[in-house]
Amino acid sequence: MMWRDVGVTLILSLILPVVAQGARHTPPGKPKLTSCRSPDKETFTCWWEAGSDGGRPTTYSLFYHKENSETVYECPDYHTAGANSCFFSKNETSIWVNYNITVVATNALGNNFSDPVDVDVVYIVQPHTPENVTVGVLEDEDGPFLRVSWEPPSKADTRSGWITLIYELRVKLEEAEEWEEHRAGQQKMFNIFSLHSGGVYMVQVRCKPDHGFWSEWSTASYVIVPDYIPRERSMWILIAVFSAFIFLILTWIITLNRSSVKHCLLPPVPGPKIKGFDQQLLKKGKPEEVFNSLVVQSFPPRSTDYEDLLVEYLEVYVNEKQELMPEGKDLQDVGCLKSKSQSDNDSGRGSCDSHTLLMEKCGGVESKDESSYEEPELLQGQAGSWERLERGDSQVVDTPDSSDGRVKTWPLVFSPSIHGSSDNHHYGTLEMPKQHSTSEITYSVPDHLFPTSTSFPHHHHPEYRDSLGEYSEYRCSRSPSTGVAYHWEARHPTQAHSNFNIRNLERQKEATGLGLPPSRSMEYVEVQKVNQENQLVLKPLSSHGRGPFQRQREMAEAGQYCNYREKEGAEAERYPTQQQGKTTKDGPVATQLQESTCLTTSGYVDTAPTMPTF
Amino acid sequence: MHIMQSVVWAVLLWPCLVSLGVPLECKDEQGSIILCASISKEKLLDRVIQHAELIYRVSEESCTLFEEMFVPFPMRSQRNQAGYTCATKAFPIPGSKSEIQQISDKWLLHSVLILVQSWIEPLVYLQTTLDRYDDAPDTLLKKTKWVSEKLLSLEQGVVVLIRKMLDDDMLTTSYYEQGVAPYALQPEVLESVLRDYTLLSCFKKDAHKMETFLKLLKCRQTDKYSCFLH
Repeated sequence: MMWRDVGVTLILSLILPVVAQGARHTPPGKPKLTSCRSPDKETFTCWWEAGSDGGRPTTYSLFYHKENSETVYECPDYHTAGANSCFFSKNETSIWVNYNITVVATNALGNNFSDPVDVDVVYIVQPHTPENVTVGVLEDEDGPFLRVSWEPPSKADTRSGWITLIYELRVKLEEAEEWEEHRAGQQKMFNIFSLHSGGVYMVQVRCKPDHGFWSEWSTASYVIVPDYIPRERSMWILIAVFSAFIFLILTWIITLNRSSVKHCLLPPVPGPKIKGFDQQLLKKGKPEEVFNSLVVQSFPPRSTDYEDLLVEYLEVYVNEKQELMPEGKDLQDVGCLKSKSQSDNDSGRGSCDSHTLLMEKCGGVESKDESSYEEPELLQGQAGSWERLERGDSQVVDTPDSSDGRVKTWPLVFSPSIHGSSDNHHYGTLEMPKQHSTSEITYSVPDHLFPTSTSFPHHHHPEYRDSLGEYSEYRCSRSPSTGVAYHWEARHPTQAHSNFNIRNLERQKEATGLGLPPSRSMEYVEVQKVNQENQLVLKPLSSHGRGPFQRQREMAEAGQYCNYREKEGAEAERYPTQQQGKTTKDGPVATQLQESTCLTTSGYVDTAPTMPTF
Repeated sequence: MHIMQSVVWAVLLWPCLVSLGVPLECKDEQGSIILCASISKEKLLDRVIQHAELIYRVSEESCTLFEEMFVPFPMRSQRNQAGYTCATKAFPIPGSKSEIQQISDKWLLHSVLILVQSWIEPLVYLQTTLDRYDDAPDTLLKKTKWVSEKLLSLEQGVVVLIRKMLDDDMLTTSYYEQGVAPYALQPEVLESVLRDYTLLSCFKKDAHKMETFLKLLKCRQTDKYSCFLH
């Protein structure tokens, strides 16, 4: 029982406060004056905020008394300025006088006083925003500028001097983030310079009395700055002018050094030259003097091994029955080639301009006593060695000198087997006719072999070809660096693909007889050196490695060189060019005759007639 | 006697007058230094208004300085709060614009003069009390000293202005009103601080009064009708 009472009491004590809590009303909470403001120093308004209302409707009232007076007045106007406010009109407003203001919250249960606040109207002045803010763009000689003008707030009496306002404005581009603020003092107009052309500016103004608060910023005014002459364009113009100026200077410098620039970019190709060869003399028509200048006294070097320099491949038909006369009695009929070459320092000229290819007919047609020439005499012995006789002054031996890049032509000497059928000891030489009028090199072939030893001009080559019972591949390959290698080949005209028209069947027979007998063994011979007696020392090649392809290739290369020469030499005469693609031919058969005769102004014939090979 | 006094004052306050740019005497007088470079009323009024504005600004700065340095935080008065009571003046000062508009020019000028003269002595007193502070900033001392000097100049200017505008031949010397209650010297530090603070605040308010009166007077001089329309 007692426990029950205790429990009931306990429950009641717990429940009752909760119940009473909801139903209990308290006096209102303490209100608080938040701010008092005066827009014109003639009236002012005070605002307060309410505390808790205590669950009951609560009324608020404001009481004040002025300093030095105990009379308490109540707020005259609660509505003008809105809720929880008190508006003091002009009649109730005294400046330079402290107001002691208190707000009272009242409800049914009680009231509550706020803390008193002392207010002096002079110090709470906060004007309204300036009005009629206008922004205009004006032109100046330096460019456009903004002129901002405004008016003081209508409520503030600045005209009579009651309030003195100072102004402040701020400007920024529309897309900028930071404002740029300016103090304008007491003036009502302001200029802004240094504008961005084409930009949109925002302007705001505010004001403050000399003893109060700043007003709010006015609403933003937008202005668009027109595009005046942009600095960027003038900058580009400056850059263009400057770069054009630099370009002109560079062009002028390059023009001054035109030759050296050209020398740097397109280095001239040195060509073979004959030292001492005077082109002008040749033009005058005095070949003797020209050739004399080419004579080198020290030629031939006797102790030099020419093994590496001179490579000749002779396809020789060795007829053991034949004998070669060691002497060169018939050499007179043999045209010989002589090339005089001397070292020439004139290597700067194109290769086709060089006149190192000088072939001179010696013996036979025109013999020049003063000019020395050599008559290679090939002697064919049992072993197929050849000799060469040299006639005349020991002059220049046309040993290919690779350093000078001279071309030497060798008379083609046929094997004794060539003329085996007929008279022996025949030397078939090829004369390389020149077209030069003054000098000719003729290849004289023994009469029984060939027609006469007349000079074969360039255009006689076909005839020459025809008359030859054989075809020889004569290659002229010139290169400034490697020298010249002549390859003769006396081919066996076994095949019937010869393009030659043999004039003389007899000749042909003789040629064939002279030439390589059919189905005879062929042997390749390499000229090893020139012995002391100016005789060629031949050695047979071990292998028949050198095939027609190679020869053709060499000939093709020779033709290339000649063609190059022809191109280089402006005065070179035309000549049928060599087929360039000869090397690509598979078969050993070269049906077309190739001849490339490179002629220079000196009349040098650098021929590489290629006989069709079978 | 009065003439002698005026002459003495003219001689003594000669630098002040030169700085003010206003000659004190502009009439032939025996034994007096005459400087009759006259100045127009408008310019004089402008100069006086400038003085008043400057005095108010400096007093405001001094009050703020003093408040930051010496006044404990709880006792600091807010901008809109004035927890002190200024000494009442001998004659009523208009308290509103409407009241001021009802006052004549003469009364305005005289009110200004009375205000100025009532503060000359307290400011001198303030300077002595501030020297007693241990760590009073130099700027505060300089400002208060400057203000008291400028107040004298202002007084002289107002006097001349009264004479010019009102053709009132008054004594230029400032007579010390006995009505101004002297501030009792209290040895307590805190009270002393509060007293000084009250002094500065009241002076600041009165300086603003002077400035406002003078500006209203200026408006009346230029355009009487528009001034009253508002």
